[in-house]
Order: sequence, then C-alpha cells, then structure tokens
Amino acid sequence: MTIVTDSEHGHKNITRRRFLAAATSAVGAVVAGMVAVPLVDSLEPTAAAEAASSTTVDLTPIEPGMQVTVPWQKKPVIIINRTPEMLATLKETMQKGILKDPLCKVPQQPPYCTNMYRSRVPEWYVGIRICNHLCCIPHYRPKKGSVAPWWLGGFHCPCHGSMYDLSARVIQGSPAPHNMAVPEYELSTEKMSATITHMYPKAHLC
Amino acid sequence: MSTYRYLCFLLVSMLIPGIAWGAENTVHWMTPHYTFNRTTVIAGARYFADHCMACHSVSSLRYEYLRADLGMTKKEVEEDIMLPNGAAWKGQIVSPMPPDMAAKWLGKPPPNLSHMDRYLGSKFIYTYLLSFYWDPARPSGWNNYVFPMVAMPNILAPWGGTVGPKGQVIFPGRLSPAEYHKNVADVVAFLRYASDPSYFTRMAIGPYVIGIMVLFTILAYFLKAAYWIDLKKKRK
Amino acid sequence: MSRFSAWVNKRLPVDETIREHMTEYFAPRNFNILYYAGSLLLLMIVLQLISGFFLMAHYVPTSQDAFASVQGIMYDTKWGWLIRYMHVDGVSLIFILLYTHMFRGLLYGSHRAPRELVWVIGYVIYLLMMAEAFVGYVLPFGNLSYWAGEVITSIMHALPVVGPSLTTLTRGGPGIGSATLQRFLALHVVLFFLIILAAIALHIVALHRVGSNNPDGIDIKKHKGPDGKPLDGVPFHPYYTVKDLFGVGVWLTIFVSVIFYAPTMHGVFMERTTFLAANPMVSLPDVTPPWYLSPYYAMLRAVPNKYYGIAIMITSVLLPLLLPWLDRNPVRSSRYRPVYRIMLIVAGISFIILAWIGQEPPLPKYFLIERVATALYLGFYLLLPFVSMIEPTRPVPERVTG
Repeated sequence: MTIVTDSEHGHKNITRRRFLAAATSAVGAVVAGMVAVPLVDSLEPTAAAEAASSTTVDLTPIEPGMQVTVPWQKKPVIIINRTPEMLATLKETMQKGILKDPLCKVPQQPPYCTNMYRSRVPEWYVGIRICNHLCCIPHYRPKKGSVAPWWLGGFHCPCHGSMYDLSARVIQGSPAPHNMAVPEYELSTEKMSATITHMYPKAHLC
Repeated sequence: MSTYRYLCFLLVSMLIPGIAWGAENTVHWMTPHYTFNRTTVIAGARYFADHCMACHSVSSLRYEYLRADLGMTKKEVEEDIMLPNGAAWKGQIVSPMPPDMAAKWLGKPPPNLSHMDRYLGSKFIYTYLLSFYWDPARPSGWNNYVFPMVAMPNILAPWGGTVGPKGQVIFPGRLSPAEYHKNVADVVAFLRYASDPSYFTRMAIGPYVIGIMVLFTILAYFLKAAYWIDLKKKRK
Repeated sequence: MSRFSAWVNKRLPVDETIREHMTEYFAPRNFNILYYAGSLLLLMIVLQLISGFFLMAHYVPTSQDAFASVQGIMYDTKWGWLIRYMHVDGVSLIFILLYTHMFRGLLYGSHRAPRELVWVIGYVIYLLMMAEAFVGYVLPFGNLSYWAGEVITSIMHALPVVGPSLTTLTRGGPGIGSATLQRFLALHVVLFFLIILAAIALHIVALHRVGSNNPDGIDIKKHKGPDGKPLDGVPFHPYYTVKDLFGVGVWLTIFVSVIFYAPTMHGVFMERTTFLAANPMVSLPDVTPPWYLSPYYAMLRAVPNKYYGIAIMITSVLLPLLLPWLDRNPVRSSRYRPVYRIMLIVAGISFIILAWIGQEPPLPKYFLIERVATALYLGFYLLLPFVSMIEPTRPVPERVTG
C-alpha cells in the first residue's frame, strides 16, 4: 500500500492538520501545566511544618530589664522587657542623631512596629537577633558605657563591630546597612505571652 | 463478604474465642441516612467536639482545615470545636486526655479516629454507635452487639436512651429516635470527612479536570482522523 | 538551525534514531484497540516516576514515622492526596494494561518466533513490576503493608537451602522494621526501577529489530512495494503517534476519573487495612494480596500442602516464560486457530476467577472452584504443546485484514 501524501489532498487537509495539531498541543500544554503546578506546590512547607513554625513564649519569667533568646524557625529571637530608663535611651539616641534610620523607614519591621520602639507594646521588644551585616549573633549590651564611653545600651556585633540601640536600630559607622529584622508576632500583656508567627516578608535578614 | 471481614477482625482483635450472639442474632447492618455534604459534616464536627473529643483524637486533621475544607469561619471553629486547652489554630485535633491515663481508666486507650471510616466503613461505625446495650456484667456497664466486650461506654445514652440485652427500653432518651439517629449520622459524616479530607476539593475541581481531558481527547480524535484519512482513501 | 542539527547529528544519532524508530518504522496498519496498551504503559511508568519523586520528597522510611509521613502527605502536604492517589491508583491501572498487553500478545501470537525475546524480556518486566509493586506496597507501613511483608518474606523462607538466610537478608532483622523499609525503598526507587527502565528499552529495541506483529499474525514484510516499504505498514510517526495520542486522552480521562471519584475503588485499589498503622500484635482480618497478585495467591492456597503450594505458585509465575516454545503450531494468530482461542479464553477466565477468589477469605466453600480454576489455568500450558500440533486451523490470509 502506498500512502497518499499531503499534496494529493490539497491544502485544505494540511491546514486542518496544522490547526488540530496546534489545538491539541495547546490543550496538552494546559494539561501538563495542570499536573506540574500541584506537583511543584507540594514541595512548599507542609501544614505540619507551618504548625511547627510559630513559637509561643511565656513572658511571666522575664523581669523588667531582662531578656530571653528563644529559637524560632532555627533563628534566635530576642525578647526584652524594657524598663522606662531603657525606653528613654531610645529618644536620646535619636536626639544625638547617631542612627542610620531613626524613623524606621526601611521596612525591616511589620507596619505595626514602625515606631521608635519597633514593637507592638513599647516595653516588649521582640526581634530576630541576627546582625544585618553578615548574619552573626550580636551581643546584648544593655549597660551604659559598656562598649564605648558614649554607649547607651544596645547590641554589639562581635564579628565586624556593628552597633545597634535598644530597639536594634543600627548606629552610624556600623557596617550593617539596616536595622535588625523584626518578625511578625502577636503579643498579649494580659496572657503574658508572645507568639512569633512568621517572617515579615519585606524585611532583609542579613 | 464485608460482614465476615468485620467479624474476623473483631474476633482476632478482641481475642475472644467464639461468642454466642454471633449464631443467634445476626447483626443487622444499618446504613446511615445522611447526605454527605458540608452541612452534615459541620454538624457532625460540632457534635463530635461536644461528645467524643474528650477521649478521641482525629489527629490527622488540623483545626484550620475545618475552615479551608468545610467553610467554617475561624471564629466558629474557635468557639465550637477548639477545646479550651491552648490548642493552636494550625495544630492537630487532639483529645486533651493523656493516652496513658485513658488506658488506665478504660482498659485501653481510645483509638484515634482519623482513618476509622476508611478502615471500618460508615455502616460499621453507624451501626456500632446504635448497638450499645446495658450489661451489668461489664465494668463500664455497657456492651455492644457489633463490638462485644467493647471498652467504650455508651456516652450517648442520655440522648439516645438505654436498652437492655434483648432490645427492651430501660430509660428513654432525651431525643426522639429520629433526631438521635440524625445526630449519630452527622458524626459518621464527620468521620468520613476526617478519613477522606480531600473529598470536597476533589468534587469541586473534578469536573473541570475531566472536562479538559475530554476536550483533549476530542481534539486528538480529530487529529488522528485527519491523518488516518490517508489510509481510508487508499482503500476506496 | 540546520547547521546546528548537522553538528548534533554528527555527534549524536538523533535523526537516525527518529527515522529508525518513528518515521521509518513501519507498523502494520490493522492494529486494534488492544494495541493501545503498550504506549499507555510507557506513559504510566513516566507518571509513576514523577509522582514517586514527589512522594519521596516527604516520605520517612522508618518504622516509627513511615505511616505518619504518608498520612502527612495525605493531610498536610499541598496536593499530597493527588500525588499519592496518582501513584497508588497508577499501579492498578498499570497492571490492567500489563494484563491487556500480555493477553493481546497471546491472542495474536506476538510471542512466537521471531519475537521470543520480545516476549521473554516483556515477561521479565512483568515479574519485576510485581516485585516493584510488592516492595512499594510495604513502604506506607499500614497494617496491610506489615502483614504483606511478613507473609511474602516467609514464603521465601520455604525456598530450599537459601530460604532462611534470604528471608533475614530481605528483612534486615528478625522482623519487618526500619531496616526493611530502608532497603525496600532502595529497591523500589533504585534497583528494581532502573532494571525495569533498562528492560523496557531492550523490549522496544528487540521489537523494532523484528517488527511489530498484528492481529492476523502474518508477516507484513513479505509484501513490499516497489519502494521497499511494506504494503500493509504505515510509518509509526505520524500515524501511530497521533492514534496513541487519542488513546492517551481516553486513558487519562479514565485515570483522573478514578483519582477524583473513586481513589480507593471501594477497597480494591487501596485496601481498607492500609488505613491502620502497622501493628505486629494485631493480624489482619484476612490476609489478601492486591488484586493483581491474587491469582497466584489463590493457586498457592488451592494446594493443601505448604511446599507443593509454593511450588505450584512459582511454576505458574514462571511457566509463561516458556510459551514461545510450548506452542508448536505454525499459525500465530488465534483468529485462525479456534481451539487455541477457546483454550486461551478459558485460561484467561480462570485467571480472573482466581484473582477474585484470591481476594476472598479462605473459606472451604471456595476450595473446589479454586482448584478447578488452577487446573484449567495450568492445563493451558500443559496441553498447549500437544494441542498445538494437532489442532485444526483456518486458512491464513496473505495480506492483513480489517
């Protein structure tokens, strides 16, 4: 048997074949996409991982002036119970004009923390304790004059000397570009508990 | 066949050789009359939270799934389903009863009901819940036609009533049989959802997936025809 | 573009391979519906590879966590249920296709000379698929997995001489545990799977060496046109590629219908005991294999002696390998061999009956039917050498029909 070639059918059938081949491929591509999207989606963190991703911290044992650092999503999160004197230093650093971003214009924190305290409740600072420069864990130095004679209290990074105030706002002259990141969290002073839920997506960790 | 399987399972798992009831009363399997939809499942979830969750977990489910799959609001879930034991919204639906304590009180820990519907079937669970009878010989005071020597007491007796071994009513329940059966059927619906949580998603997107496959098949058929016409022409 | 393709083709025989296996591979023009199974099998294996990859991204092969990790896929992983149903239902659909494909081969004599190796390699793929399915079946570590693992590894125990040590080697310990799961996972995704892929490649190469058979069981290369092309053949591409594309559409429609509307197929594709975690203290209500293995299991049970039973089972698994040589009739296709056709259909029905019985509990009422079906099934192989020599045949056409 010889097969009748395209030319013997004329152009009509060629167009028809081309059209059908294109249409079938197009629908086939949609089908392939329909399979591919859920498959790739399945590699997202599972609900179990997400359930384990938020950390709740009991605030009762943290006395004024004290801090705790808890692991959250494999990152250290510091919670400081700031005294009125400590809060007063935040204004002082701003008046001195030594901060790179005193008004927290860079979205290193969720909108509800965009204030000089960088927190939901002024007394309670909740932030990721990772230096914005190259990911080291800064030392917490709350004592006045402990790092330099002018030191009002804050964070000092052991790696490259970045300095931050008690709201983790970066001090001029530090290699770190931005303030330290603040995650999304919920805090209740009634229940005395803080729940760190997820990373604030716009924040730059390090 | 399925009846036989269940009976075998019961014999083996309870390690009781030969029971008299098997020969005398053949179990009459009851089919729950419910429409399996979000409404009945939500009703069942509420009923489950009120009456079953004190002992039984459905740990494969998470509270947030009740919103995602069933369309309950977060507030409804928090108020009606979540137990006031610090359960997390994304956490698993777990009974507050410590398993070792439960084993001590009841003889064996109450099973996790996550997959029970797929394991035993809706008919079994429904019939089982309606087959309790008063048996003073048992430590709990309860026995069951389809699950003899069961450790679980008939906690639904105040609503469904108490019957004796011969089926005679000892105390009538607070609810009419029809209402009570409806509530039990709702629980069965909830357990069916718990063991097959993708059901509503599958039903929602299934028609579209099949639709696009049928479209592909039709196009492929015409494409095939457009080529195979060569051979048909030859045969003429 | 052409310069690029010339550059590639100088180094890699792309065009040549496409010509040899697609555009200038001449397949008989009279393939019927049974011939879709081959290409669909290839598609399904690729789908198993894809869904398997995504399952393995979440699976934990320890006796502590295996069941929970699989339930995590079903409940907590985005679209995890879809992927698992694809993988699990895919197995049953693969075996439906495998049995169709093999039955079609026997129906039209595709296993006969010169295609003996195509049959033997294909049958080895089937055996490997059974092994692959079995180890895969143990991985989710439901109670069914546990007891299936126990029973199969204890069948190995009955093998002469090597039995006991082979059982320990398979289990990696006294019982089914983490060690077993880890080696089964390695077998499932590495060893068995790679051998299956290699064997499929050999199967296709061997087939293309001798050319495809057809429902009439005659050689299309006997009648060639002036251009040297078989008169009853059509180039595989585009004719059979577009035809198979249509088959793919129909088959995938069936596949998604199963996944979305009957993922467990009422306990046939996913048995209810897979939904209970493995428990060495609670045996199953009845130990039945999946439907695609149950014929052999029924044959094992049909014999009231452990060793003879296992011998019968192994024989029935291995006998089909010899089929190309058991059949001695010069006519290939059952279309022209009424007696062979009846024998084949009886054997096929016996096989289906055994599949059904193998799923039933081992009750005495089934013993007779079990034994008769076993005898009829094995009788096909034992009678074939004699019947094929004396059976009447109808005249075979010169050219393909239909």
